[in-house]
Amino acid sequence: MRNAALWFDRKFGLEEHTIAHYAWVIVAIAGVVQMVGAAIRMAFGVLVDPLVEAFGWSPGSIGLAYALMSIVTALSSPMAGWLGNRFGARRTMTAGTVLFFIGMMWTSQTKEIWELYVAYGIVFGVSQALLLVPVVPAVAAWFRRHLGLGTGIMMVSWSLGPALVVQALAVLFATVGWSQAFMVVGIVGTGTLIVILLFFKNTPEDAGKIAYGTKADDNPLITSGNVFVSTQKEFQGYVYKTNAFWNLINIHFLGCVGHAVILVGIIPLGISKGLGPLTAAGVLTTISIVSVSTRFLAPVLSEKMSPKAVMFLSFFGQGVGVFLLLTADSTLDFYIFAVVWAIPYGGEGTAFPVLIRKYFGHTPMGTTYGWQLLGAGLGMALGGVIPGMVFDITGGYTWAIILSAAFSLMGSLAIVLLENTRKQLIPNWPEMEQKPGEIPGSDLTTAEARPAGGD
Amino acid sequence: MKADAPIQPLDGNSPELDGFEIKRRPMLGFGLLMSSVIGTLAVLIYFGAWASSDRIENRAQAAGISETQVEGEWWEDGLVFACPLH
Repeated sequence: MRNAALWFDRKFGLEEHTIAHYAWVIVAIAGVVQMVGAAIRMAFGVLVDPLVEAFGWSPGSIGLAYALMSIVTALSSPMAGWLGNRFGARRTMTAGTVLFFIGMMWTSQTKEIWELYVAYGIVFGVSQALLLVPVVPAVAAWFRRHLGLGTGIMMVSWSLGPALVVQALAVLFATVGWSQAFMVVGIVGTGTLIVILLFFKNTPEDAGKIAYGTKADDNPLITSGNVFVSTQKEFQGYVYKTNAFWNLINIHFLGCVGHAVILVGIIPLGISKGLGPLTAAGVLTTISIVSVSTRFLAPVLSEKMSPKAVMFLSFFGQGVGVFLLLTADSTLDFYIFAVVWAIPYGGEGTAFPVLIRKYFGHTPMGTTYGWQLLGAGLGMALGGVIPGMVFDITGGYTWAIILSAAFSLMGSLAIVLLENTRKQLIPNWPEMEQKPGEIPGSDLTTAEARPAGGD
Repeated sequence: MKADAPIQPLDGNSPELDGFEIKRRPMLGFGLLMSSVIGTLAVLIYFGAWASSDRIENRAQAAGISETQVEGEWWEDGLVFACPLH
């Protein structure tokens, strides 16, 4: 396998990069974790009708389980990030896998609505946080440089994977029924997670390797041990004192409200303007497909240029773009909107890991990222409620569109107020990046480091 | 890299951080976050009160009585009370 990768490198003249590095295995694992962890969440809409038929519960009461799950996931995210830092992403995701299995099996045997709330809303909600929050900081730990490239590829897989799995789940629900489908997903998903976690390593050190993009003259990073734990705790205390930490939670919240309104409301809005259900669904599919491009490009450009500029343009475009919907009343209008709006939307959320790296250097970002996902999760939950609420009150979606724009544009304003990214916010932190020979117990010297990209 | 050296004393022995004011408070960032929280609550209260007013008005019309005679749900009354515009 490694020889094939090296052949690929030579064949395509890759100099600064190589595909023969374990970091890409970690990125692939992150993609699969997301696919398994998020699939059943994405497929919730398919579940509603079978549950209505089987138990006679109202769609609203079933939807409450989804809202509960979203909020529980959001509230658990800071804890999941901290656990990832403290005990490692692998152990945290293993705990998430156990809860995933319990949540799926229990949901498949649900007879009462409260069981759905506990099994799907709470148990599955916590498992989502444990699976999905620590994986991004873990991927970041594998990239000394080119984090934007690693993040971009991971974000593409996070976008395409669930889209494919949702189709498979829809077929499964239709053929074996909802209860059996949950059991199958629970067993297959848990098995898949167990197998891939065997190959998952929290840090390059765990795998006896060096982070992607490490150069020969780079000082090695502390990634575990007593000093790491104590230093990380103290460092995080300083992170809480930065404006960027709080503002990034705010920005993630505002951006997610802005696009959740559109993602949830675009199909009913299209139908209300005369589009057929399939055509309206096609608008959402178009957004998903087009946004893949900027999901990849935004973190890559953020690393090369200014992440603030990339994020500002994404938020501003997301905010201004929705105004196209105010005058859209034909299929063409909606598809033009889908293409135009998906470009900034795709770049809106994927540059955060790069920005955290710019501000806080190579310290583990689990806790910081977990807090940001708290903002994102609450934003998605709120944004999901707004279209229905506005329609019930006003009989239309105009106010929902205006609110979506307002939240995104406020996010772009908050980005302007972020600190400059050229300098780390907590500079000269002396213990996270040690010179060789200074760390007792260290058995690695920079002489072992390879050129950039080497494994 | 693993480092199992004894835990270093942390209190009162913080390293020199050039350019970082350890005692500062993140007023701007926290203020922006709080502004968003308050603004969001204001939007929710406004639309919630709007919905509540509509529901009360509809029930009043259906019963052929005035809105003041309609007994609202606790959350309807609460939202209308909380919103200065309704």
